Amino acid sequence: MRMKTLLVCAGVLVSQMAVADALPQRWVSAGGAFSEWVVALGGEGRLVGVDSTSQHPQTLRSLPSVGYQRALAAEGILALKPDILVGSTEMGPPPVLEQLKAAGVRIEMLSAKADVAALQHNLTELGQLLGKQTEAQAQTAGYLKRLQAQADWVKQAQKQHPPPRVLMLLSHSGGNLQVAGKDTLAAWMIEQAGGTSLGEHNGYKPVSNEAMLALDPQVIIFAGGRLEGDAARAALLQQNPILAQTRAGRDGRVLVIDPTLLVGGLGPRVPDALSRLCAAFYPDVKTAGISQ
Amino acid sequence: MTAIFRPRPTLIFLGLLLILVFWLSLALGPVSLPLSDTLLAGLRLLGLPLDVGDTQQAELILGQIRLPRSLLGISVGSVLALSGVAMQGLFRNPLADPGLVGVSGGAALGAAIAIVGGSLLGGLPPAVEPYLLSVCAFAGGLIVTAVVYRFGRKNGQTDVATMLLAGVAMTAMAGAGVGLFTYLADDATLRTLTFWNLGSLNGASYPRLWPLLIVAVGVALWLPRRAAALNAMLLGESEARHLGFNIERIKLELVFCTALGVGAAVAAAGLIGFIGLVVPHLMRLLVGPDHRVLLPASLLAGASLLLLADLAARLLLAPAELPIGIVTALIGAPFFLYLLVRGRS
Repeated sequence: MRMKTLLVCAGVLVSQMAVADALPQRWVSAGGAFSEWVVALGGEGRLVGVDSTSQHPQTLRSLPSVGYQRALAAEGILALKPDILVGSTEMGPPPVLEQLKAAGVRIEMLSAKADVAALQHNLTELGQLLGKQTEAQAQTAGYLKRLQAQADWVKQAQKQHPPPRVLMLLSHSGGNLQVAGKDTLAAWMIEQAGGTSLGEHNGYKPVSNEAMLALDPQVIIFAGGRLEGDAARAALLQQNPILAQTRAGRDGRVLVIDPTLLVGGLGPRVPDALSRLCAAFYPDVKTAGISQ
Repeated sequence: MTAIFRPRPTLIFLGLLLILVFWLSLALGPVSLPLSDTLLAGLRLLGLPLDVGDTQQAELILGQIRLPRSLLGISVGSVLALSGVAMQGLFRNPLADPGLVGVSGGAALGAAIAIVGGSLLGGLPPAVEPYLLSVCAFAGGLIVTAVVYRFGRKNGQTDVATMLLAGVAMTAMAGAGVGLFTYLADDATLRTLTFWNLGSLNGASYPRLWPLLIVAVGVALWLPRRAAALNAMLLGESEARHLGFNIERIKLELVFCTALGVGAAVAAAGLIGFIGLVVPHLMRLLVGPDHRVLLPASLLAGASLLLLADLAARLLLAPAELPIGIVTALIGAPFFLYLLVRGRS
């Protein structure tokens, strides 16, 4: 009897090892959104290192940090004995990636672009690598469904109200405010939630107080700092009194979001954030149907 | 200023120190290899037909990661220190550093153009990209230095004071150019630029190493031949001329060596401050102002200091890495202050 149990155990072990052999077991993720997806697909236990942008969920912060994604160190990463390194196409420097490849580490570059096609591709890829294809499919389908529901809701809302003019401000620990312009995840999110992004430049750029006043946003979204919610809002208006003079400031329509949302492409938390944006952009429209 | 130590034992000591630090740099890293593996892998890399178990990983880490990195460190450190001696000799000013003739500023501008311009153009063919940065940085350094040198020329003579001021002005202009590109850059590019400005030996590979190694050997062979002229220039330019040295030619050679050496070093490893300023100064405190000793001593000490700084850079935050410029300043500055205070009392 005991012998039989042992044999069965051994059999199970062997078959699991066979599957495990094919799939990378030790992961290093160099990209905030990718790390989040790995966690969401149930692969947190396989992560042995993350980059400095992988700040969410909190538990990732206790993993060894491999530094900034564009300044990776070959030997440091090899010390973690990873099977695979996942990161965005901006990951580098290239010679380090070459060295890692030579050492037998699989390099998987995914797009950090804020668009649905990239997301679908990334999730399929991660699902395969984690051996969680079905979960990845389910997550993708759910995600797309939510985005679609939000888009429909926004279309309805825009029949009754004009889209609000929105300014997204980014601040790094009390430094100068930067305004999100075109080609950013921030702009994508504003448009997706039915607002009009006011940043006309590319990327994130500092904008003068006077220009911000002239843009006169109806809604301000603030990402940054360690503070959250009301405290962050109060600090923002206190440090930049001019913002209180904009329409958003006068109407109290200042929304605070987590800056880690904006790093590394579409992450799992984006739909929730979009729901909040929708609700803030169209406060008079019933929010049933957008927040799942 | 007199020497604290006699030249010959000091040079021997510095040579042994460099060998020790080089060995440490090969033996230590975030991946902890057993010493025996390192030794065996090293012997195999030297071509000994040893057949001893599985040293593949050790060979890879030693041969492809640590060895090019250490050699790069030695080249960069020695070239920066030698150029520092050349500049301090040329300007007869202990505060001179290789950046003074504009080479660092020009290289930074070249790098900014390559990093930001490349991304503005929407990416370059991958075959060109890794070399573009090095080539632009090198060219930027040479061009700005040539302009600075040209400003210093008048009636067939080079006025060192004018050249110094022109260097300051050109560095400021290059800084403005870098600032402009910083403004144009997107977030990701901006951080690449910031990291580049702090220097790193990370990602050292043989293709990146060879050009610098050749330049470093050239500079290291050439500059000591000018030790006597540099000594004479300590007395003053006209005195040196009366001693029979072709001063104009020497000046050109010193500027050229610096532009070439620092340009190549910066192209390979980014801006690494402090070595060029402090190592020559330090060595002057230790072995005295005689360039026949000062040049080799600075070469050895510059290489050792840079390798030590790199060890700290890759070990302190492992598996991540500190930019080496931070470490060179953190190690060098307090030591320098200590020597200053000690020298005064």
